[in-house]
Amino acid sequence: MSSPYALVIEDDPDLSDIFSEALGVAGFEVEVIRDGQVALQRLPSVEAVVIVLDIHLPNVSGDILLEHIQADERFANTRVIVTTADTVIAEMLRDKADIVLVKPISFGQLRDLASRLRPAD
Amino acid sequence: MKAFLNLFQIVPSQNPDDNRRRSLLNIFLVGLMAIALILVVLILFSLGLEGVVIDELLFLLVLTAVFFLLAFGIALLNHYRPGSLPAWFFLLLLLTAISFSDTPQEVVDGRSIYLFTLPILIASFVLFPLASFAFAGLSSLAILILTFYGDLGLVNLIGMVGFFAIAFVAWLASNNMETALRDLRALNRELDRRVEDRTRELAEALAREVVEAGKNQAILEGIADGVIVFDANQTMIVANPSVCRLLEMGRADLLGKTIGQFSELPLLSKEDSQKMQGWLARPNETLLSGRLLWGQKTLSVTTAAVTTPVGMPIGTVAVFRDFTKEAEVEQMKNTFVAIVSHELRTPLNAILAYSEMLQGEVYGPINPKQANAATRIYSNAQRLLGMVSDLLDQARLEAGKLKIEVAEFQVLELADAVQGVMEKSARDKGLDLKIVVEPDAPVAVWGDSHRCQQILINLVNNAVKFTEAGEVGVRIRKAGDRHWAIHVSDTGPGIPEKALPYIFETFRQVDGVTTRQHGGVGLGLSIVKRLVELMGGTVSVSSQVKQGTTFVVTLPVKPSGTNNEEIKS
Repeated sequence: MSSPYALVIEDDPDLSDIFSEALGVAGFEVEVIRDGQVALQRLPSVEAVVIVLDIHLPNVSGDILLEHIQADERFANTRVIVTTADTVIAEMLRDKADIVLVKPISFGQLRDLASRLRPAD
Repeated sequence: MKAFLNLFQIVPSQNPDDNRRRSLLNIFLVGLMAIALILVVLILFSLGLEGVVIDELLFLLVLTAVFFLLAFGIALLNHYRPGSLPAWFFLLLLLTAISFSDTPQEVVDGRSIYLFTLPILIASFVLFPLASFAFAGLSSLAILILTFYGDLGLVNLIGMVGFFAIAFVAWLASNNMETALRDLRALNRELDRRVEDRTRELAEALAREVVEAGKNQAILEGIADGVIVFDANQTMIVANPSVCRLLEMGRADLLGKTIGQFSELPLLSKEDSQKMQGWLARPNETLLSGRLLWGQKTLSVTTAAVTTPVGMPIGTVAVFRDFTKEAEVEQMKNTFVAIVSHELRTPLNAILAYSEMLQGEVYGPINPKQANAATRIYSNAQRLLGMVSDLLDQARLEAGKLKIEVAEFQVLELADAVQGVMEKSARDKGLDLKIVVEPDAPVAVWGDSHRCQQILINLVNNAVKFTEAGEVGVRIRKAGDRHWAIHVSDTGPGIPEKALPYIFETFRQVDGVTTRQHGGVGLGLSIVKRLVELMGGTVSVSSQVKQGTTFVVTLPVKPSGTNNEEIKS
């Protein structure tokens, strides 16, 4: 059986690298998207178990992507991990998203979280 | 006729006694002249009667006319000339007239002797008190002369003694009257002097007042701060030019407005309008101040009660200052700090995570030296992150944007969290971290658990940072019925007494050296204080140099007026 799929939507190259590394260690096959518009186009054709979603994104912001994801039946079982450096925004999204992580996000923290979210084989 | 009557009015002189005597003399003269006129009329009637001797009557008529003219002459003299001469003339004339008014026998020892009392009495009033004796003497002389010339036998000594007795009584009466008058005049003079003094003082005070008021007015007109004053009826009575400029309103539009009307002007938002009304309507001894938006402007407003020296409130004064520029700069500074802090977090996140990955050998095995380097990168990045967080918190506190989320939480959980976060750094320095929750401490309290953690971690972190050997202790206990307290103590170098008052100020460390040795930007304690205060608590410090320092944070078990809702700073 192939690895579960994870989507990392994060514009910062270093952070997206770290997140995909952590998800990889947790046993996911990871795809990284660095642009909101690209992510919006890619969403309909992707099936992901976990989506790591940054809020500050170029072109289309993360909260709009979040609305799309939540409106899409296909993502009903997908866990969305919202990441932001802004604690105020974090508080606002606390009710909307499954999980909100406030940056800085440690490698170990995301790895362990992702491991728990990985469906049992 | 009027001019004629005016002749009987004296021309007054400087001496009030003289005026009084002369006026009195005039009355006597008029009386005398009236008697003379009546006599003339009687004589003229008598001329027609039978059995009268015409020659005698004519002689009497001439005599009376001469007497009248003399009296008139004296009256004229009295009218123009001050002094006692007319009085002497009058009295001598009177004495002469009395002496020949009847037969010598009757004058000396009969029905007419009583007439001599007239000049004696009058003399004491129209000349001077002792003059009564002079005329008693002259009257006695007249009797003597009449006795000798009329060959009347024994001299009327009893009559003479009577003259002197009357003179004595007249002297007493007149003297008393003069003394009383003198006293009265002295009193009057004193009264006049006082009135004059008081009038002068009043005039001077008024002049001073005018000068002072002019000065105050000039200050009020000249100062750049806007000043308005409301009286006890809450009506605006003063509005200086600066306030008109600041509020962009004419003085005439402002004056006379009540506090209510002024607070409801459309340039104020509803919230600010309530604030303004509160400040103006309920000022007290301490100054109330704050900021509000007036149209496009930010104004700082300070209000205070105007009281009398005995503390009676008689109005309110409010001072306005244009704070627009400062508010903009402050806003820019806060935005700048927030953006910078926010942007710093992303690269810091990368540094932290990569060093963590190296330590965790995600990219393959590393040797111990490499592992050590990775650890150092990690811990330094953590420190940097702490400072950035402090700056961000400080900016939020200053902008009033830091929110306190009140919820119930377990005190033991707080203790565990702090233990978990701080244990490693204490152990790394060889220090004991002892966290004790006293049996009387409340099990659960209301507050912002995240901010409580931040406060406690900040204090413990400080204690660990400054302590080289010994222990760092945390003790949580009950503090009265409605509060709980956290003690954070260390065995560090202590804080010198003179530095204690400043340690909660922004960007302060006890000395410049410690900044480099211990890191931090000096925001930790100021943030602790602000957070504690936001939660309705207090923080205090006690310290002994070379012995250690203890911080005590006291917080309410349940903040008043809150129940699960948000407290906004």
